[in-house]
Amino acid sequence: MSALGGAKPAGGSTGIAPVPTLISLVIFVIIFAIMYMYGGSLGVTALIGIVIGGLLIGFGVHFVPVGGAPAAMGQAPGIATGVAMLAAGGGLAGLFGGAWAASQGTLVAVVTGAIGGGLMLAITCFFVNFVYIYGMGIPAASGKVKKDPITGDSQPEYKSQGTEGHGLPFVSFVGGVIGGILGGAGGTLIYLMLLDVYNASLPGVMKATAVQVEPIAVSLAGMFAIGMFLVIAVLAAYNITGTIEGPHDPKFKRFPRALIASAVASALCGVAAIMLVMV
Amino acid sequence: MSVKVEVIEGGVPHQKILIAGLVLAVIGLYLSYLNVIVGTQMFAFFGGLAAIAALVWGSHTIKVLASYGIGTGVPSAGMIAFGSGVIAFLFATKYGVLAPIVAIVLAAVIGAILGYLANEVLSMHIPVMIKSLTEMAVVGALSLMGFSAMITGSFAFSPQGSFIFSLTTGSVKVLGMSLPSYQSSYIGGALIATVFLLGAIAIQHGFNACLGPGWKQDRMLMLVAECGFLSMMMCAIMSVALISLAAAILSFIVGLLGWYYTYTKYIELSKRDAAAWLDAKPIPEVEGH
Repeated sequence: MSALGGAKPAGGSTGIAPVPTLISLVIFVIIFAIMYMYGGSLGVTALIGIVIGGLLIGFGVHFVPVGGAPAAMGQAPGIATGVAMLAAGGGLAGLFGGAWAASQGTLVAVVTGAIGGGLMLAITCFFVNFVYIYGMGIPAASGKVKKDPITGDSQPEYKSQGTEGHGLPFVSFVGGVIGGILGGAGGTLIYLMLLDVYNASLPGVMKATAVQVEPIAVSLAGMFAIGMFLVIAVLAAYNITGTIEGPHDPKFKRFPRALIASAVASALCGVAAIMLVMV
Repeated sequence: MSVKVEVIEGGVPHQKILIAGLVLAVIGLYLSYLNVIVGTQMFAFFGGLAAIAALVWGSHTIKVLASYGIGTGVPSAGMIAFGSGVIAFLFATKYGVLAPIVAIVLAAVIGAILGYLANEVLSMHIPVMIKSLTEMAVVGALSLMGFSAMITGSFAFSPQGSFIFSLTTGSVKVLGMSLPSYQSSYIGGALIATVFLLGAIAIQHGFNACLGPGWKQDRMLMLVAECGFLSMMMCAIMSVALISLAAAILSFIVGLLGWYYTYTKYIELSKRDAAAWLDAKPIPEVEGH
């Protein structure tokens, strides 16, 4: 095994630890209280949107078939890179797509972002399988399930001995696209929420017209959205200890605690981003 | 419990690198503040040096954390460092001359909470997790601030009295008059996005390239410094847009000299640690093909 997969941490349990969860929820409530004190209803509304976006990203990462270094050697199923790279590729593609449509309303922009992220991951998954099958000459087979949950195709016959499976079975492909859709939508939602806040407050803070500060608002919102996206994606990656096959993987069941972590992390980063123009 | 795969053998202890990196970064940032006191832009390069000090410290933190086998790959550590760092950095820009201190405190708070979430809620149970994520958020914030001070020439002087205005306000010359422009500025022009990735790549590449049984501390840190100087040269080129040409050229020269020194040193150390090496000359041009 590689250095990446050699020493797995003990985070194998799927349960939620009660005490840390309670403490996180307390932090979460405190953050919202601070936001309400300084930001009023505008701040709280934006923060709720940011938390929803964070939840979408944190949940979406669990769908993406992240293979890591073993996948690069064809010894494990999934896309042969880490979560940080996949998040940056799929999620940011969605974010840019959504940002481009930001002027057409929240719903259109979020859907555009979702399509952008899903499309990016679909293209990635397609070419990953293309390279695996036609380049490396290995079939797609899951190591975690006997039958593909969607197509019902049998898997073990195609799995090479000594590997955990290889390539992207259909369910992983679908998982990747779903993950891209959720990540793109989440990233775009965070961006839109911050953009609204900045567009509303920056002219007052900087004593300039709305048109003048628009580049600042766009750039700040984009930068914060990218930062939060990466933080949440890496936290979700810690939850699955680096690699996952897709929604059929037993590790997928760990997602509830990632949702807790994503909610607190996005609220924490979101409150700093909003307070930038509020205090 | 988690298994520690590699222990740090020999070399400078992490605590020393931590203190040296933190102190040098803060000193460097405040040296770039000389720009404001003296009324010039020539000291901008100190910002870049501060960023490199922080990056060297951060890469060693990644080494300490990754030796526990976090399972997500080394680049993810660089991404979370800068993802949490950029938030602390941008928030701290409100506080003028206190910006570096506020950035350190806020980044430490964000990093500690993220570390707690990873360790307890996500059940990572890695002993150094909280400390490492705290350090990395601070490193991310300080390196971003260093490169930003280098590109804009300041972190605290503007009529409104806070860093964010000098970051968001550039100027365009129209008919000989200088007008403020928000588009041709550090944040409005999204130079910050480039700096974000220049730093994030520099911080993680060192350990990602040097990890393994032959890991040597001095070789990794030299490579990180080399990546840092490469990023500094890029930042110097970008700073042409915002500060005087002479200051930008000075920054570039400092970056180039630093890069040359660290690069030759790194090659030397690589040869020292290699079992054998062969100077493969460039492919010779075959005559009459």
